[in-house]
Amino acid sequence: MATALPTGLAPSGLRSTWASVRLSVLQFLADPQWLIPSMIAPVIFGIVSFELVVGSGPYYLVYAILGAGMMSMWGQTLYGSGWATGQDREYGTLEPTIQAPSPYLYVVLGRVLWNVISGLIGGGIVYLVVVAAAGELPTLDNPLLFAGLFVFVMFTLASVGIVLAAFYVYTRYAGFIQNIGEFAFYVGTGCMFPVIFLPWWTNPVSLVFPPTWALDALRYASIPGYQGFGWGFGVDLAGAAGTTAVYLILAHQVFRRVERHVLEVGNLSEY
Amino acid sequence: MPTPTVIEARAVRRVFESRKGFLFTDVTRTEALRGVDLTVERGEIFGLLGPNGAGKTTLTKILSTLLIPTSGEAKVLGLDVVRQAAELRPRIGLVLGGERGLYYRVSARENLRYFADLFGVPLDQRAARIDEVLERVGLSAAADRRVEEFSRGMKQKLHLARGILHRPELLFLDEPTIGLDPKSARETRKLIRALIEDGVTIFLTTHYMFEAEELCHRLAVLSKGQIVARDTVAGLRRLVGGDRTIEVEAYGFEDEEIETVRRLPGVSRVVSEEFGPRLRLTLRIATSETTPDDVRAALASHAELTVRERPTQLEDVYLDLVEEEAN
Amino acid sequence: MAGAAPGFWRNFWANAVLSPRTTLGFMRIDFVLGTIFVIPLMQMAFFAFVVQLGNGSVAETAFVVVGNAVATVTYPSIFSVCQTTDSEKQQGTMEHLLVSPAPRFPLYVGRGLVPIGISLATVTVGLVYAFTVFGVPFHLSAVGPLAISVVLSAFAMVGFGLLLGGVALYLRTSIILGNIFLFIGLLFSGVNFPLSQFPGPVQYVGDLFPLTFAVDAVRDSIAGAPLRVLGLDWLYLSVSMAIAIGLALGLWRTFERRALTTGSIARF
Repeated sequence: MATALPTGLAPSGLRSTWASVRLSVLQFLADPQWLIPSMIAPVIFGIVSFELVVGSGPYYLVYAILGAGMMSMWGQTLYGSGWATGQDREYGTLEPTIQAPSPYLYVVLGRVLWNVISGLIGGGIVYLVVVAAAGELPTLDNPLLFAGLFVFVMFTLASVGIVLAAFYVYTRYAGFIQNIGEFAFYVGTGCMFPVIFLPWWTNPVSLVFPPTWALDALRYASIPGYQGFGWGFGVDLAGAAGTTAVYLILAHQVFRRVERHVLEVGNLSEY
Repeated sequence: MPTPTVIEARAVRRVFESRKGFLFTDVTRTEALRGVDLTVERGEIFGLLGPNGAGKTTLTKILSTLLIPTSGEAKVLGLDVVRQAAELRPRIGLVLGGERGLYYRVSARENLRYFADLFGVPLDQRAARIDEVLERVGLSAAADRRVEEFSRGMKQKLHLARGILHRPELLFLDEPTIGLDPKSARETRKLIRALIEDGVTIFLTTHYMFEAEELCHRLAVLSKGQIVARDTVAGLRRLVGGDRTIEVEAYGFEDEEIETVRRLPGVSRVVSEEFGPRLRLTLRIATSETTPDDVRAALASHAELTVRERPTQLEDVYLDLVEEEAN
Repeated sequence: MAGAAPGFWRNFWANAVLSPRTTLGFMRIDFVLGTIFVIPLMQMAFFAFVVQLGNGSVAETAFVVVGNAVATVTYPSIFSVCQTTDSEKQQGTMEHLLVSPAPRFPLYVGRGLVPIGISLATVTVGLVYAFTVFGVPFHLSAVGPLAISVVLSAFAMVGFGLLLGGVALYLRTSIILGNIFLFIGLLFSGVNFPLSQFPGPVQYVGDLFPLTFAVDAVRDSIAGAPLRVLGLDWLYLSVSMAIAIGLALGLWRTFERRALTTGSIARF
């Protein structure tokens, strides 16, 4: 008699997430050419960012690091997570993964975690490149807080990445939609410049995204006299935490609905 | 006490929609399943036969929680495939096979380890279980090679290994021997029989009639989204009119001659088809009253007459059923 | 009857029109429209705001806006051509293409026809945004030279895309290469800041990529540069296009042989 798993005992989310992190690393190592853009993109973004804001004030280095860091992390964290799901479609592995008892959200979570790690490495490269180009260290009152908030920004990006990954399950066209929206996201979240630069009527849209709040908080913490939205560091931090929580709850709902939708439509094997 | 019925499908219908166009969307609806009723009992190998596009994979996907039926209801292991999919998934295995569906850039072992984690194979058993299934499908020697280096047959074996990895109670096999060489196909059939001895129930789709005949306890024939027959192999033979077949070939037959043959005792069905320059009559015979000599006597006017008797094969049954449905 | 090698135009047509429909997901009209209308506007706005952050002048904003209007050509030219190769591998059709008797020139170059059309539209829309939304000064007399610059740019960039697409026969995917050259273009082609900001020899790295000449030609056209200057820009662009297509053909042949030797054609 077969000894199947006890009825209804799906594997733990933690185990599925770890399995997904592990597979992401193995796949990354199996195709080392991905190392090239992971390394080159931060270097290039760092130099471009530095050249564009050089001489714009005493805190131009912070702007350069933040801007280039966000741009390279977008690629790693936001795009990478969805792209991996798109790859599941191409490999035909989306069907067996969805059919597994573990919710697909945990698989995505594992990928996002891996992408957060590689995104942070990219952020580190950006920091080194910008500092090397300037020949000086950025003026930071509290470097530890800056670093901590930098990692926090990464997690807010990851929360958006998880929701975006659901669209890769939903449709094979998600990658193209994300390409089209890439620069709109850079503009809307103010990754390189304060969102307050944008027309006022676009601000509500920007505030829907957790990184907008988190980046504003980061600027408050690292640029003395920074005004931003004018409501201060605390509100920004709370806003970032709140919207990130909303995204994580939303992700759970979105994945449930998207999984249901694809099983109704029957497009899991399309790529 | 486990319920004897492991699959129960009632009036399962599935419609696929495809859209074309941007401003003026053209929606095409295809009815892949048109009200399927089905039961599969615990411990049996149930075979689903049918031509390409009959709806076999669609039904397999619905029963294995990968597709939601448009209407109707299906219960597997007593659980609703739509509402209780989460409880059901750990207890079933699915092998869709083919070239895709595996992580190409990592090894067979890593593929299995990943899915062992997603299926919750106990951690202390994981490594041993992976070795065991690799051994069972004959991939032990290639366990640490990247899947992209595998032949089609090896990929098929890896699909099978993944399907049985978590010791499912019920295994769905969608054309499990397709792409396998004869030796590997035979080993796979042996494995399927061994799984039955382990108490696994198997739901199998196949195009190979000899495979279905060799393996399946019961069969259903699906044609154009509907089940046109279901029974044991012997039962299906009876359904199409007998387990004996007599084939007669000549350079044409008159209508009266065909009628004469049809009226012979025990003849339940006469099918005529062109066979090169000759015409072949295939007679299904339910009793032993009519012999080849009786047929020869009935068609004595033909000098060039070839008469052969053979047992009715599953393939004959299948073709009769599918053609009948097509007509 | 045994098959014969198809004629040049038939082969070209099949690869120019039919192939992109099967291999380019973005050939859905809504995605094409998104590529043409949304990407340029957002990319230009992004860099314009960054210049504003650095207290840049109107001229600096115009510099960045026009540079990015031209740089958006990278998406339809390099990415889409690379993607056709990747898709052929993923769908398993690349092996069938390689065993076909079709001559390679129309087979490969034909794939650039649709991307050339989309590239032209993207740059044109980007420039319209530059003049209307971002207020870059423009005189009607520049229309002619600008049209020539845009057409040559589209051809040259697609030629460069074909060059990278050839490498994809051997690599698992060429999208990575596309990404790398998108970044390199942003840095070394004078899209966002004058190359004179770089030290000595680094200023000339951009000369390896047609985007550098495309950006120069478009900027000079808008500025109403004399024909002597424009002629030189166009000559550079044409030469870079010819080199890219020539190298592309050579690379496709080389990597075709290499892919068949190593069996990498089935890997993606």
